Amino acid sequence: MLQNYLTLALKVLRRKPFYAFVSLFGISFTLMILMLLTSLFDAGLGRNQPMTKRDRLLVAPMAERLRYEPDTTLSIETIYADDGTERYDTTEEITENVVSNSNGPMSYRFLMDNLADMEAAERMAIYHDGNFTDGFIDGRKFTFSTYYTNADYWRVLDFDFRFGQPFNEADVAAGNQKVVLTDRAARAYFGEVTADLLGREMLLGRRAFTVAGVINRPLSDSPMFGGDIYLPLTTLDQRSLSSTDVSGGFSAIFEVSSPERRKVLSEEINFMAEHFTFPPESDYNKLKIMNASIPEAYAMRVVQEQDPARALRILFIPVVILLLLFVALPLINLINLNISRVYERRAEIGVRKAFGAEARDVLLQFLFENLVITAIGGAIGLVLAFFLIWYINTNDLLGITRLSLSWQVVFYYFIVILLFGLLSGILPAYRVSRTNVANALRG
Amino acid sequence: MIELTNVSKSYRTDTIETLALQHLNLTVPAGEFLSIMGPSGCGKSTLLNIMGLIDEPTAGRVVLAGQEVTGYNGSRVARFRNEQLGFIFQSFHLINDLSVVDNVELPLLYRKVGSKERKRRSLEALEHVGLSNRAFHFPNQLSGGQKQRVAIARAIVGQPNILLADEPTGNLDSHMGGEIMDILLRLNQELGTTIVMVTHDERMAKKTHRLVRLSDGERVS
Repeated sequence: MLQNYLTLALKVLRRKPFYAFVSLFGISFTLMILMLLTSLFDAGLGRNQPMTKRDRLLVAPMAERLRYEPDTTLSIETIYADDGTERYDTTEEITENVVSNSNGPMSYRFLMDNLADMEAAERMAIYHDGNFTDGFIDGRKFTFSTYYTNADYWRVLDFDFRFGQPFNEADVAAGNQKVVLTDRAARAYFGEVTADLLGREMLLGRRAFTVAGVINRPLSDSPMFGGDIYLPLTTLDQRSLSSTDVSGGFSAIFEVSSPERRKVLSEEINFMAEHFTFPPESDYNKLKIMNASIPEAYAMRVVQEQDPARALRILFIPVVILLLLFVALPLINLINLNISRVYERRAEIGVRKAFGAEARDVLLQFLFENLVITAIGGAIGLVLAFFLIWYINTNDLLGITRLSLSWQVVFYYFIVILLFGLLSGILPAYRVSRTNVANALRG
Repeated sequence: MIELTNVSKSYRTDTIETLALQHLNLTVPAGEFLSIMGPSGCGKSTLLNIMGLIDEPTAGRVVLAGQEVTGYNGSRVARFRNEQLGFIFQSFHLINDLSVVDNVELPLLYRKVGSKERKRRSLEALEHVGLSNRAFHFPNQLSGGQKQRVAIARAIVGQPNILLADEPTGNLDSHMGGEIMDILLRLNQELGTTIVMVTHDERMAKKTHRLVRLSDGERVS
């Protein structure tokens, strides 16, 4: 039976080349754009290296210090008694208001003293971003985005090492001048990306660092791993490491044992912040440590909102609405085309029903045919999307971010094809399945 | 085999009610070849549609193959049509995008019959109508007479007890019409299939066992 339906679906497409072109163009173009968007989101949010543990990570990018001051409101209520005397009822309400606040990354000492021993966390990655270092070779100068990290950073984040390995605890403890660099930085600085780079020296600022490893550049641009080069955090200026202030240049990423443990850890961090005592001379008396899952952190960064849940809502609700609108237009167009296509085949439907087809059989036939057409359009869209992704990535058209081409993206794409096929086919198929046999056979 | 008792059919619009059939009684015994004649609009096709469960009577009782089918609906109607009835239409109603053999196997698609068995029985039905050599042609490669023979093969492939033919020779010249009539007569004689045929052609009607005439929705002979 399916073969019969398949034959018909293909024949109908060939019979009306213009209709076929319009249908397939609409389907393939829409699906190609959806694939690119999926790919873009997957690059930022997918389980791609170095975020293969995405669901077990909690990011603490910064702390907010606040100064609360009591605010007293005095209310006086006058009451007139029956005998004409006046009485006064006084209420004093004391509230707390924020009079100043400051937020930003934390200091190394603060992280080590207060967050390093969280019970719910397996380990804590520490990184210091936002630095740029000049690299020199053969009289040429390069400016590299530089990250200073601890050794656990390389365990929490799963970088794709092309050659070599990360620096370890001993390197960090000793302040060894080792460097891990991206393939792009290696190509820029050394002019090649080979295993021979391991052990070679890079002149960074006035110091020589030995190449310990070369990583493939991650797909997306993220504050957690946006560096060209990565150095042990102990190679930073010692003042940065010894400051006892809450604020500094460091952020943390925690790894927990299961996705559910993120909530426990979050509560533990919040508890610590609530009970944190500032030194008497401090301008602040309350502390909040922002902590968020990877999708929340992504949303916070994109929409510049500090409340994780709100950031997620602000980012995803409009995105979903826009996507629905984007899909709705070709979908409605395709539904219209399908209605006219099936209307032309009323006589066939009449014959099928006369010979025993039930409404359900007709519905399934037309849904199946529509799925076949959508699958063909989807395949064309997939080829176009592959080509575009390759072109965008090869030419770095999206800056640091590169579109991902993982099997997950292709899997999502097939789900989208299926949904698109079902949604565009269900209404025409339902309508045609209700066809009155006598009317259909009369023509 | 077919028993219509006091069957009426009316079509109603907002302003007018048209009576297509009025209190019609008709019995067709098993194995009979009956023809129905009458002027255009007299209710012949409506009668055939009611017998084929394609249309429902407004009033009256319909018994087909021993089953009271009045009030059947949905999947019961579909199953009954599939197992008991075969249809032949004036304009053939073949699916041009399917080969002859694929057209013929259509009724079997809605039964639990494997594809090999479907193919075998379709070729056998084509053999019956003398068209097995055209099994893998397409309808637009056939003459009108050949198309109608394919339609007959499609109607008989499921071995129905009743064949309902709506002017099967209406679109054919007299030679081809004669050939189609011969096939129907042979099916009736050899397989014992009950056939009800609507026709405008007196000569064709005379070849059948019995002729019923309708006028203005009423049986006149």
